[in-house]
Amino acid sequence: MLVSDLVWLAVGGAFCLGGLHLGFGSFRQPHAGFMPVLAGLTLAGLTAIDLTVGLLSGWSQEKRDADIWADINPGRLLATALVLLAYTLLFTTLGFVLATIPLLAFLFRLMQARAWWVVLSASVGVTGLFYAGFKFGLDCQLPRGLFWF
Amino acid sequence: MELFNHLLMGFSVALEPGNLIYCFLGVLIGTLVGVLPGIGPVGAMSLLLPATFHISPVSSIIMLAGIFYGSQYGGSTTSILVNIPGEAASVMTCLDGYQMARQGRAGPALGIAAFGSFIAGTLGILGLILIAPPLVDFALRFGPPEYFSLMVLGLTILTFLTSSSMIRALMMASLGLALGTVGLDTISGLSRFTFTVPELLDGIGLVPLVMGLFGISEVLLNIERTIARDVFTTKVAGLLPSMADWARSIWAILRGTVIGFFLGTLPGGGAVISSFAAYAIEKRVSRHPEEFGRGAIEGVAAPEAANNSAAQASFIPLLTLGIPSNVTMAMLLGALIIQGVTPGPLLLSQHPDLFWGVIASMYVGNVMLLALNLPLIGLWVRLLSVPYSILFPLIVIFCMIGSYSINNSTTDVLLMLGFGVAGYLLKKLSLETAPLVLAFVLGPMLETSLRQSLIKSEGGFGIFFSRPISAVCLIAAFALVVMPLLPWCQRRPGALIDGEETT
Repeated sequence: MLVSDLVWLAVGGAFCLGGLHLGFGSFRQPHAGFMPVLAGLTLAGLTAIDLTVGLLSGWSQEKRDADIWADINPGRLLATALVLLAYTLLFTTLGFVLATIPLLAFLFRLMQARAWWVVLSASVGVTGLFYAGFKFGLDCQLPRGLFWF
Repeated sequence: MELFNHLLMGFSVALEPGNLIYCFLGVLIGTLVGVLPGIGPVGAMSLLLPATFHISPVSSIIMLAGIFYGSQYGGSTTSILVNIPGEAASVMTCLDGYQMARQGRAGPALGIAAFGSFIAGTLGILGLILIAPPLVDFALRFGPPEYFSLMVLGLTILTFLTSSSMIRALMMASLGLALGTVGLDTISGLSRFTFTVPELLDGIGLVPLVMGLFGISEVLLNIERTIARDVFTTKVAGLLPSMADWARSIWAILRGTVIGFFLGTLPGGGAVISSFAAYAIEKRVSRHPEEFGRGAIEGVAAPEAANNSAAQASFIPLLTLGIPSNVTMAMLLGALIIQGVTPGPLLLSQHPDLFWGVIASMYVGNVMLLALNLPLIGLWVRLLSVPYSILFPLIVIFCMIGSYSINNSTTDVLLMLGFGVAGYLLKKLSLETAPLVLAFVLGPMLETSLRQSLIKSEGGFGIFFSRPISAVCLIAAFALVVMPLLPWCQRRPGALIDGEETT
């Protein structure tokens, strides 16, 4: 957990510095940076305590950083994260329907190996249901993209 | 008499056809998400929050409230039949409920869970009706110091109960407070941590944050591992408990109701800790403590009654003080604010239709839930066989549409993805997300109260201790922080519910 504590120290420090940059003010007249400094200091202080407790106990009762990543498939996780990012960046350009069908096909196939025709027809059907439900049922604005759907 | 008239008005609102439909939808979705492990009420409410923009405030709150208390009912089905809690508040029901199912008594276990939930839910609403109006008068005397101290106490209680490591839970609460400062400063008008992104001027949205932390992160966790579910296949029959079952359960239900109600009213308390406390107390007062964990019906009745009673009681701080006591209530607060309704002491006078309509709808919803959970139990059992490989892709699309449709902004979707990855990492590191979300919601209110108090007292912190309510809250919060350091107080309830979402 050493790495995560160092990250939280950095995050706390960043909020402190950002708050000071905005202006802490005084206790009599607190400025915009008052709360970020307090929250950042609290986060950094608590992390320092957690870090100290961990170091003193030799991380005996903690999961080691490496243990957390044991027995997982990083390729699947990374691929999912990248596909979701690509979907987010493309779905306003391509439109909801054209972007969602391949995303669903990817996720259905990733979750369980099924025949491609099953995956594709399920993706088309589900996308159609979502589109009809949100667009016409709930009157939600969905990105129209190149082909207006 | 005035109370009776208010209640009549509430029923006239709740029984409008549109509101009845939304109430039914709410309890139906609530039961569904309670039955299906992996999607809690918070996730379901965040998924549906954007859909409520197009309906009236009363209807939307009736539906969202229905999801919350409906999930408390549904959670017991999965606990009893699968030995996996459908949601965190049903953890204790697994212990004896599953054992009863293994002994061929799944029917009475499900029956007493439903009847116990109904009785507790109904008594909980009665308590809400009796306590909320006087508390509103009391809350009108609250100033910024009282609000600040009460929010500090709420956050401290939540961190005390949430995790086995209070330091880490407090770290998450601090992070939530820090994230809550993003956007325009309400007092000076300066933009904070917006990095010239115009969408951040209004702050980070609650929906992207919650959908990411609770929805996307859950999907990512399930992509790395597959959860096996073995549904108990014995035929579910004889749902009506026998007289002997009732004799053993009725006092457990009543005790669970009282415990749940009082723990539910506390800021930071809620359904999860109530069910733990009710189970522990029931075991202690029982004449047959050795039967607990081996299929004692009281072990099902007490926690189920407690979590339903607590679910109703947790509306009290939100409706009277405007302070959400847990993450689910924070979602309701977000929904109210989006609808232009400010919860707090003035809600009762400014929006009596909403206040009494929502309360009356809970009665109606409880009756609907009894009808949904007993005759339709077979349907819920069949639903348990829906594979995650179908469910999780649908959750991803819900999250994507939900976060996009609020402002038609890709930035919100990117934020949600970022919080999804962050939530995944936090869960891997055993860091609780519930204190983060509650602190994020309370952050702006807490900051305003703190700054107003300090300006009023010209920088003196004595203002927080010179006012009795504020002083009591801060002393209680301090005691909760110090307690884990004392050797005889080290076994906290959080150690029992470590890893569970406190909602």
